[in-house]
Amino acid sequence: MKKLIKIIGLTIVGLFSTLLVANSVFANEVNIFSARHYDSDVQLYEKFTAKTGIKVNVVSGKDKALQKRIKEEGKDSKADIYITADAGRLGAFQAEGMFQKGASSAALKKVVPANFRSPYWVGIAKRARIIYYNPKTVNPSWNMSYEDLADPKYKGRVVIRKSSNIYNQSLVASLIKNNGEKKTAAWAKGMVNNFARKPTGNDRAQILAVAAGEADWAVANTYYLALMLSGKKGAEQQAAAKKVMPFFPNQDGRGTHMNISGSGILKHAPNKANAVKLLEFLLTPEAQQHIVNNTFEYPMIPGVEANKLIAQFGLDFKQDLKTKVSNYGKLQAKALKVMNEAGW
Amino acid sequence: MIKRINFWVIFAFLVPLLVAIPIFTVFLSFFDTTGNYLDLLKDTFLLKYLSNSFLILLGVLSLTFIFGVTSAYFVSFYKFPGVNFFKWALILSFAVPAYIYAYSLVAFFENYGTAFSILTYLFGEGDYNKNIPKFDGLIGSMFSISFSLFGYVYVLTRASFVFQSHNLIEVGKNLGLSSYESFFKIILPSARPAIVVGLSLVAMETLSDFGTVDFFNISTLTTAIYNAWISFDDLTTANQLSFVLLFFILLLFILENLSRKGAKYHQNSKGNKPIPKIQLVGGKSILATCFCSILFFCSFVFPVSQMTYWTIKFPKYFQDINFWSLNMNTLLLVFLSSLFLIIFSFMTNYGNRVSKNKLISYLSTFSVSGYALPGIILAVAFITFISWFSDFLSSIFGFNSFKNVFIGSVVGLVIAYFVRFFSLSYNGIKSGYSKINNSIDENAYLLGYSKLKTFSTIHLPYLKTNILLVGVLIALEIIKELPITLILRPFNFETFATKAYSYAAQDLLEAAAFPSLCLIMWASIFILFISKYILSEK
Repeated sequence: MKKLIKIIGLTIVGLFSTLLVANSVFANEVNIFSARHYDSDVQLYEKFTAKTGIKVNVVSGKDKALQKRIKEEGKDSKADIYITADAGRLGAFQAEGMFQKGASSAALKKVVPANFRSPYWVGIAKRARIIYYNPKTVNPSWNMSYEDLADPKYKGRVVIRKSSNIYNQSLVASLIKNNGEKKTAAWAKGMVNNFARKPTGNDRAQILAVAAGEADWAVANTYYLALMLSGKKGAEQQAAAKKVMPFFPNQDGRGTHMNISGSGILKHAPNKANAVKLLEFLLTPEAQQHIVNNTFEYPMIPGVEANKLIAQFGLDFKQDLKTKVSNYGKLQAKALKVMNEAGW
Repeated sequence: MIKRINFWVIFAFLVPLLVAIPIFTVFLSFFDTTGNYLDLLKDTFLLKYLSNSFLILLGVLSLTFIFGVTSAYFVSFYKFPGVNFFKWALILSFAVPAYIYAYSLVAFFENYGTAFSILTYLFGEGDYNKNIPKFDGLIGSMFSISFSLFGYVYVLTRASFVFQSHNLIEVGKNLGLSSYESFFKIILPSARPAIVVGLSLVAMETLSDFGTVDFFNISTLTTAIYNAWISFDDLTTANQLSFVLLFFILLLFILENLSRKGAKYHQNSKGNKPIPKIQLVGGKSILATCFCSILFFCSFVFPVSQMTYWTIKFPKYFQDINFWSLNMNTLLLVFLSSLFLIIFSFMTNYGNRVSKNKLISYLSTFSVSGYALPGIILAVAFITFISWFSDFLSSIFGFNSFKNVFIGSVVGLVIAYFVRFFSLSYNGIKSGYSKINNSIDENAYLLGYSKLKTFSTIHLPYLKTNILLVGVLIALEIIKELPITLILRPFNFETFATKAYSYAAQDLLEAAAFPSLCLIMWASIFILFISKYILSEK
């Protein structure tokens, strides 16, 4: 029995020491809750630490679960920065009062376009949600739009992922903002009629479906094609990606739908000053270059060149800067409803 | 009534009570909420969620039944090429979590996936995509979950076959039953309780699955609860849905209990000679070998090969991984959780034994249903409860907040695992305890042994095998555990499961391969370690 007591005792001591290590306070640190999972982000934080001596701690996870944890931790939360990959999510979290002002410091206001920041959060990188097509079978006119994809002439030739996907919700939210709910509902029905298959897989799977001839048209974010072209997914996918052409829609009107990866400083951030420093660092040319070369997103600041795999698609397309990205969050629930009712 | 209140009894009362808290939390909403999610849900997809859950459950139960029972039947009653290998090789399927299986399935069959590469390599360039079967998310989930869980049915059914009374089968033979008839009329019915237990374990794991259905983007009851709670902050709906889920599971529990009680009538005649195995020849032997080979291939070789292929093909990702810290973190969690679970379930069991109190026994039974609560729901319930409790104590007694001690710490993780897997360890130890006759305890007391001494010098040594078995089962669960770890982990803390998940989330399944492979390797080591006990024929 003495042995047993000894084991229990030792374990408790062990547990507390792990606890202390886990909770030990580094004076100079900044804590990030990130719904972006890129390893390259972690490398970037290491660069930041090397430069400033500020230690960066990260918890990554599912978007909503992280938000829940931040909310429940309340003023005891150690999280300083919340990073996610959709403007709608940032807007919604802001609406819940979880951010404090200060993300867009004076320095950042100078470089980040007004549509991609608010006092509560700031965009770190941009992505466009575009159309992909098979050049062997179809050829879009220069002014083709998202709206056109619902045209009955494309029956059975369109692929896009499920309505539960947040990028789709933001895209449809922007359509609602521009065309109204009624028109968008009709559009969603038209889209569903044109589906080549039941929505399945991620954005890359949609592009691959066009490459494989399952469909002529796909909707997906820009960086997925670049990821395949980079060879990081193997030679076969690289070859497949070359069979597909990207197309930037709505050039005749408001421009192509843009979304951001962005971050805000949390209401109870214990290390606000460091958080501001980190956000400013993420928007330096050096950090931006690192981001665009690893995630194939578009840079947020002028003077940084997109990765050449992205740049070859053309960089002078018209971006939709009219539809405020901050609107996405407010309309996402409606967008989901519209899509669900259409059977998406 | 409690005859004497002592340390053990208090223990047996407190531990299950603590474990039951999250379950109470799910049921009793002491938070003010306004529910709007349910209306949206009712109009749109509640029915779909329910039917998805139901279809997956049905598919998985059918598949695991066919896989598990057929393979158990072959290896228990017949001799055919490879039988001794398959006997233990089939339990390796436990090492592959369903979500990793799902990664392999998608990667292999997708357009320009691994199947395409293989065909191109073998037959040159070609348009193979059209001929490669595509898995719809629902079917994909069914297969992934079935291949990773059929082991439960296999192990339990096999054990029941092995201990089956030889006489019954002999009687059947003398009555002139064919092997086909004796299977359906004698063997299967008498193994029924074991099969039901296996299937109900499978059912619980299936209903609480998150990683697989999330990866396939299939909405189920569990994801609906998660969404109601987390996206819409609608706890009322979350509770109502959880209630439906728990009801489902309660039903299974009752079913399982009933069949366990039934099992008493099918007394194992101990000391029986083992059933002589029949040598299969010709077509039948090929059939048996083929079935087991395909099952072993699909459940273990296939995912492991896919992951190995990637690890070799993309060595770059291999270097990005902090191998040492992943090992340490995973093993730390395994060690601490197993230790606490075993110690506490031991004491609870012993307390139950000495108190013979109905209330305590009911409470332990109830707390055991923590296993039925999906990990992801449990994790959210845990965070919500700790937050509420800490705020409550601060506002009433002015305590310092202790949220950081439990949320985002190893302590919190271990406690959440404890709640989730208490059932596993409690029941595991209990099954050992039930074999120690009460008169042994009484004799010990007569000899002047204290309770403590009885416990440490008689029970502990007697239950060594059980401890080992339970410890390894917990280890397996924790190595594979994903949703709880993901939400509750501290800063900069990764396990193999979270690392694989995070790569999968950034669409780099290639990079997820190495951590997945390590996870499977550790799990396999643990399985091989106990395989001789699982497969014991004595």
